Amino acid sequence: MVVDDHPMWRDGVARDLAAAGYEVVATVGEGQQAVRIAPAARPQVVVLDLQLPDISGVEVISGLLAALPGVRVLMLSASGEQQDVLDAVKAGATGYLLKSSGQAEFLDAVARTAAGDPVFTPGLAGLVLGEFRRLATEPAGEDPGTPKLTERETEVLRLVAKGLSYRQIAERLVLSHRTVQNHVQNTLGKLQLHNRVELTRYAIEQGLD
Amino acid sequence: MAESASTSQTLQTSLWRAIAVYRIAALVYVTALVVNNIGVYAHPALAWPVLALTAGWTVFTTYAYADPARRRPPLFLADLLITMGVMASSGYIVGAEALRAGKPTLAVAWHVAPVIAWAVAGGRRWGITAALAMGATDLVVRNHWDQAAYTGTVLMLLAALAVGYLVGVAQASQQRLERAIQLEAATRERERLARDIHDSVLQVLALVKRRGAGLGGEAGELARLAGEQEAALRTLVTGRSAEAVDEHAEVDLMTLLEPYASATVSVAAPAGAVRLPSAAASEIAAAVAAALDNVTRHCDPGTKVWVLVEDEPAAVTVSVRDDGCGIAPERLAEAESQGRLGVAQSIRGRIGDLGGTVTITSAPGQGTEVEMTVSRVRA
Repeated sequence: MVVDDHPMWRDGVARDLAAAGYEVVATVGEGQQAVRIAPAARPQVVVLDLQLPDISGVEVISGLLAALPGVRVLMLSASGEQQDVLDAVKAGATGYLLKSSGQAEFLDAVARTAAGDPVFTPGLAGLVLGEFRRLATEPAGEDPGTPKLTERETEVLRLVAKGLSYRQIAERLVLSHRTVQNHVQNTLGKLQLHNRVELTRYAIEQGLD
Repeated sequence: MAESASTSQTLQTSLWRAIAVYRIAALVYVTALVVNNIGVYAHPALAWPVLALTAGWTVFTTYAYADPARRRPPLFLADLLITMGVMASSGYIVGAEALRAGKPTLAVAWHVAPVIAWAVAGGRRWGITAALAMGATDLVVRNHWDQAAYTGTVLMLLAALAVGYLVGVAQASQQRLERAIQLEAATRERERLARDIHDSVLQVLALVKRRGAGLGGEAGELARLAGEQEAALRTLVTGRSAEAVDEHAEVDLMTLLEPYASATVSVAAPAGAVRLPSAAASEIAAAVAAALDNVTRHCDPGTKVWVLVEDEPAAVTVSVRDDGCGIAPERLAEAESQGRLGVAQSIRGRIGDLGGTVTITSAPGQGTEVEMTVSRVRA
């Protein structure tokens, strides 16, 4: 499923995906519509533009995941809205790509998202790294529930942020390609879990259970 | 701060004018009261010369305070003492009996003017000092202690406090405004220069660089130098003006580094601001610029660069990595021994000045990585 408010972009992406052998079950221009038709269309991967005219990317992602647990979201955005990207990742998106990236890069990212592997740009790695550091320095940082990265995970994320490919990282740290991928995935998992815990805690505090 | 003096002059001028207006209005009030109460005064004949003195001093101060050169301690002190004298004379002229009956002194309301003048001239402390002196005189002259007597003094004290505070705030905001105006003027001038330089000098330098690059030998060296200068000049004229603000103010490092992001340069950073003293931030930005410059100069076009900014409580780390040709260790050493390696030196110098450390790792075919760490703890 392709969600993007720009018709030409949407159709172009759909065509590329179809040409690469994917079945495009739906193309949608609005977030609410995407959430509404997701249960019927049952996509495995959603390619989502982070800026939609109606609701925020975070709302779309939460809506999609609620309607269709296990759906994988690859988000696309123009550069510059770092906090939005970070929030989207916390809400459960597993991949992020700049709109300016090439077609091959895009198809590769879709394939990886479909396989359940996270797709990180160096920029996203920098954001995630920064977020863990921010959490660690917060007053609540002593809280055992605050997620922390292991040394290895930090090392891997730093290398991703410096633009090394998983293969290069694996070589440099003498790890398997799979292990590097797992480390990256774990960092995202921790952040998303923390986000869910925080949301639940907030809901209980506000008495909205 | 010659310009700032001239503009804050306007604020001062209007404040002094306000005091003069107050003094004149108070004089009218005092005159009315004297005319009204003269019948009950103990020594009514003396009231007129004192009133004349009050009027004369009002006229004198109106002119004297209008002249910035005369707003000096002697005038302030004279103002306070004469007003206190007028007030003290009420003890004899109005008489203890009338005063006890609640009749006002000969300086009623008028006596607040020098207190406000002190507050305007010297801020809260001066204002409070003058208010206390004047209030004490008032209480001594009245020689009876009821709530009305205290209320007058307390009101005067509060007025002095408020005026002193307001003057401080007004002056601070005036200064900020002036700084902003200066900054804007500087920015506009820089933009004008940038346009001029861009249209002329930069084009020529770029041309020299391109034409000379293929010639080799001495011409090639000239071309390289022209290229270097072109880049430096471009950085200079396009540089953000953030460094023009207060050196100790903190700025977001990212406002300086984000502009470097391009098709080939990826900038990764935390979502929030990376706050650093502006001097440190601009040095780091300059070091990053030097590193990026080096990549464009020595590597094939299209070489990708990744900049990573990490913000930790103790330090800020900025890494610049490229996937270019890299530098062989022996070439690095050789260049260093020849006193070349300008880039590495300039980066090390800048970061070293901030008390930070620089690590440069490189190998042929594996690109180069420059890692700069600047401690947040000030030396």
